[in-house]
Amino acid sequence: MKQHIFLIIGLIAITDLSDTISQLILKSSINKIDWHVNSVKKALYLVWQLIKIPRVWLGFFLSGVSLLFWLFVLSRTDLSLAFSLDSMRYIMITLASVIFLKEKAGLIRWMGIVYVVFGIILVTVG
Amino acid sequence: MTIKKQITFKILIFLISTDLMETFAQFCFKKSAASAKFLTINHFSDGILFLKAVLPSGFLWLGLLSVLLIFITWVTILSKIDLSVAVPVASFSYIAVPLVSCIFLHERISALRWFGIVFILLGVILVSVSSRQREKPA
Repeated sequence: MKQHIFLIIGLIAITDLSDTISQLILKSSINKIDWHVNSVKKALYLVWQLIKIPRVWLGFFLSGVSLLFWLFVLSRTDLSLAFSLDSMRYIMITLASVIFLKEKAGLIRWMGIVYVVFGIILVTVG
Repeated sequence: MTIKKQITFKILIFLISTDLMETFAQFCFKKSAASAKFLTINHFSDGILFLKAVLPSGFLWLGLLSVLLIFITWVTILSKIDLSVAVPVASFSYIAVPLVSCIFLHERISALRWFGIVFILLGVILVSVSSRQREKPA
């Protein structure tokens, strides 16, 4: 398993990158719809509005790609190792939110990300 | 602005239940992937063999059903709060997934790996706290 660690990291990176793009598409679409959800009916209506947007389907496709790579990774490694490495999506999603969704990240948030990265390295070595 | 962006108790409950479903889905996917364990995948075309081994698994479809439910709750959460708030706060899986893989899949988790998981969690808490403080003045 150890000699495949970089291959696994690479595969999980592909998984997380497609997941990040998918989340970006979803969140920006939800922002555009600007719908106040306070019931199951309204939640389902939001889902209905979303599935009518073509780029949301690109997001679904990327989620599918992400799932396929993820399934392959899971067939080769421990669930605990795979899931811990998967936390690189926290960095990807926060960076993407700052760059593309103009969400603001302060010092504490970046410190938190450093903690997450350190945690990932520990998990990879361990 | 009619939409409040701060995390409420209700949203927290939604996030935790989404995470529990996520954990369940991950458990199902690992169970389904175990049926392809003895395949050697060297070429791209071997991916079809992998699919053939995984698709008949009931666990795969149970996992996919959970993903559908997760999508509905996740969309609801994202309509309430920022993406960079929702994702880090959804960190319950980092406790639940290793526990599930330890108890039900009999996987061993080293002390160092536990230490790393604790660090990831600390970072995630910091990120969430920063997000909440940022939302307050607005």
